Amino acid sequence: MEVWRQTFYHTMNMFNVLIVLYFFIGNGMYTVLMISSLISVWLHNRRLVYQGLSELRDSVVTPPVTIIMPAWNEQSIVVKSVRSVLKTDYPNLEVIVVDDGSSDDTLQRLIEGFGLVKMDLIYRPRISTRPIRGFYLNPDLPNLLVVSKENGGKPDALNVGINVSRTPYFCTLDSDCLLERDALLRLMNPIVKSPVNTVVSGGIVRILNGCEEKDAQVVRVRLPEGRLERFQVVEYLRSFLFGRAGWDLLGGTLIVSGAFAVFHRESVIESGAFGRDTVTEDMDLIVQLHRWAMHHGRKIRTSFTSDPVCWTECPKEFGMLQRQRRRWQMGLFQTLWKHSEMLFNRKYGVLGLLSFPFQVYIEGVGAAVEFIGYFMVPIAIMFGMVPPTLYVLFVIVGLMYGGFLSVGAVLLEELTYRRYPGFRDLMTLLLYAFLENVGYRQMVLYYRFQGVVQFVRGYRQWEKVVHVGG
Amino acid sequence: MPFLIEHITEVVFSILVLLILANGALIALAIARRQRRERFFVRIDELRRQYNPVVSGLLTGRLDYAQGLAALRGISGRDREYIWEQLCLATTPAPAQVPNLRRLCEDLGLVKVWQRQVSGQFDVATLRDAMVRPEGVFQLLARLRFILRAKSADNLGIIRHQRSWPLLLKALNDQHVDVQNASLRSLAAIGDPESFLGLVQRLHDVVLKPGTRLSLRAVKTVLVSFPLAQAPDLIPSLKHANRRIRFFATDVIREMSDRQAALDEDFALDFKVFPEDLRELFLSQLGFDENPDVRARAAPVIARIPDPRSAPLLLTLLGDPEWFVRLHVVRTLAQPKFQPQVAEIARRLTDANWMVREAAAQTLLTFGQMGVNQLFQDFLSSPDRYSREQIADTMQRRGLVPNLIGQYLESHDGREKQVIAQLAQMGKTSYLLALLASTPEKEVRRRFLVDFGHYPDANIQKWVRIVATRESDEELRALARAALQRAQV
Repeated sequence: MEVWRQTFYHTMNMFNVLIVLYFFIGNGMYTVLMISSLISVWLHNRRLVYQGLSELRDSVVTPPVTIIMPAWNEQSIVVKSVRSVLKTDYPNLEVIVVDDGSSDDTLQRLIEGFGLVKMDLIYRPRISTRPIRGFYLNPDLPNLLVVSKENGGKPDALNVGINVSRTPYFCTLDSDCLLERDALLRLMNPIVKSPVNTVVSGGIVRILNGCEEKDAQVVRVRLPEGRLERFQVVEYLRSFLFGRAGWDLLGGTLIVSGAFAVFHRESVIESGAFGRDTVTEDMDLIVQLHRWAMHHGRKIRTSFTSDPVCWTECPKEFGMLQRQRRRWQMGLFQTLWKHSEMLFNRKYGVLGLLSFPFQVYIEGVGAAVEFIGYFMVPIAIMFGMVPPTLYVLFVIVGLMYGGFLSVGAVLLEELTYRRYPGFRDLMTLLLYAFLENVGYRQMVLYYRFQGVVQFVRGYRQWEKVVHVGG
Repeated sequence: MPFLIEHITEVVFSILVLLILANGALIALAIARRQRRERFFVRIDELRRQYNPVVSGLLTGRLDYAQGLAALRGISGRDREYIWEQLCLATTPAPAQVPNLRRLCEDLGLVKVWQRQVSGQFDVATLRDAMVRPEGVFQLLARLRFILRAKSADNLGIIRHQRSWPLLLKALNDQHVDVQNASLRSLAAIGDPESFLGLVQRLHDVVLKPGTRLSLRAVKTVLVSFPLAQAPDLIPSLKHANRRIRFFATDVIREMSDRQAALDEDFALDFKVFPEDLRELFLSQLGFDENPDVRARAAPVIARIPDPRSAPLLLTLLGDPEWFVRLHVVRTLAQPKFQPQVAEIARRLTDANWMVREAAAQTLLTFGQMGVNQLFQDFLSSPDRYSREQIADTMQRRGLVPNLIGQYLESHDGREKQVIAQLAQMGKTSYLLALLASTPEKEVRRRFLVDFGHYPDANIQKWVRIVATRESDEELRALARAALQRAQV
């Protein structure tokens, strides 16, 4: 009995130490990211005044781009999204919508919306995919092509788009997104200016809920009414403005949202294209590109820019949020597991020594540690192993630190883009930056923990997030 | 004790206090920043309301220059240079307004400020000002930053300040790539012929010196923005031992001539615009260059040289061993003057590379009915399955099928019927049937049912079954039923 008691005490102690270590290392890393992103985003914002977008638009040298929009059961929003994309201000643009075997009216709405006709065109696949059902075109809209295929998941749909596209670069765009008119120009700018092959260029995804739209464009930015959506606004600001911008400055970009990103087509094909063995195909591809470049001695660059904006609807309901976060966490683990050779591999520089371990231990395992911590520490208190005052203090510190990071993200937005114009919006964002840590954060943590469990149990299914679009 | 609780409690408490202070500071900063920005914008908006009509009057010449200038000089405050910049450069000026804008910026002293900033200098007054005020030191540091240099370089380009080109050329050696890029763009905007050679040298540097931070695309963008009259300056590059330099130089000339041709349909690279030595270089060297990229990019230029050697050379290049040379040549031949070469182009419909086949089909279509006829002829007679597939693809993408149906109706036993039969045999009927289903023309459906209703193609059979069961017209229903019976036989 004594042996069991000792084992229990030792285990609890070790876990407590682990939590404290996780707290300091994790938050230390987040602070570094916050500082580096403050520098990165502020500098980028200042540089926008002379970036020469009009020259890029008018130049004959600007490379053509294909926007690939995979769509699966997006009947409510797909036509509006495609209209928004067709208005994109870019000199040489093609749009390919890939209907991934939708069971709703997605394809029919596209046919009716754009006067498309089914054609029997040649399909020359360089990447193997599920079979094609048909090509739909309107000869009067030659830069729009809709491809219908058998359901094979988002990566498969994207691979079909890559097979059909002809341009040196392609842009992946979720079919529930609205693109700002100059977003693609802004996204291509770092590619055109770089002397190194920029294989990925990612932009920022902002939340559409609450915003006013006209002609498939956001005309007035407003905060959403719902609390759940407001929490996500703060979360997206934190994730994009300081998470990704920070890593970009440190040269450790591992995640670029596939909802809106430009890729170099040949590099993607050579590296093996979008894999079907993870549910976060965007992160998987970026890690895969880095590994491919390392193994083939190619010099590549990835870029994240904070001014090209794509607007997306965030989940309004808990169930949808749960699906989304579960999938993200499971996909993170799948990708990290698949590419585990990069962990602490100094051949990969910042990526292998800093970015990859951060994703593994802080973003991946950290979610599980934090979640279990919420139960283990009270047990430790019950057994007199931790004084309650320390626990309370620690919880308050944790919440305050979470608030600090979120307020930092809101400040960063305020210092740079100020997309939310009203003073009331700013105060609301600051309030939600604090409130987020009480309840919402724990709930999302629970969803993420479920993602970890799903990964451990070998679950692989892509969970669809349904939007209540108009 | 599991671990040092006494110490950890103190540490955690200290962190908590620090965090509370840090949170407070961030919130205060966010609110202060918002209020400051709002005040700033109120002021800027007020100044814009007051002075935008003045600036606009000066740029369009509607306002007396001396009077307008005096009004602008009346703006006070330490940031008046910034305010002037905001007022003058807030919107992109129309080309006709640029000379007035340039004069205004010169008279306001902005040009001198920008020139100083591009060269990384600051004047004594600024230095003295910086030393006496605490925030001045930060401003001075800010003045030395690359952002200011790049912005100034950009401004000199916006007003097309001709005399600043040597300074901008020098700024291409700036430590920061932003300043280099902004200077490049400004040199393109100014377009001074004397700066061209310096830019060509920059192209050589980017190609030959590894580690150069400017991108080739950025340099090329600037070079192609110059007029074709600068092409002779590229002769040493066209003869350069480095194959990539020859390639980029050839490509720059191609872009220059393409741009000119887009403005003038009958444009030709005659002696007036293209000197003898350049012409000889293209016709006797670059068309045969060992680098296929050079041959590919030289083809469009050769096509515009009015010389008896041009067409034979292009036909030789049409059979080049490298597929992308053939591709560029086929695309180049999409000009009315190459209609006599239609048979040569049609031969590329059986090229081993699908992109060349596709380009050949598209080129033929640019020749109007003559090209369509050639395309149909090849579609019906070519034993090459890939060639037929490509033609069918192009016919659909380019919207030829509606015309095909129209002509089929007019000439019942003509070639159009054979083309439709070929499409039906190949299973390329989706577009045809979609048109038939939507046409109000009964006759065309009647003929189609008679001619092709019995074809085993799954799409046709599906359509015929629909007609047989759902069509309101009795005659069409009967024809559809007969076609289904024939199909079974």
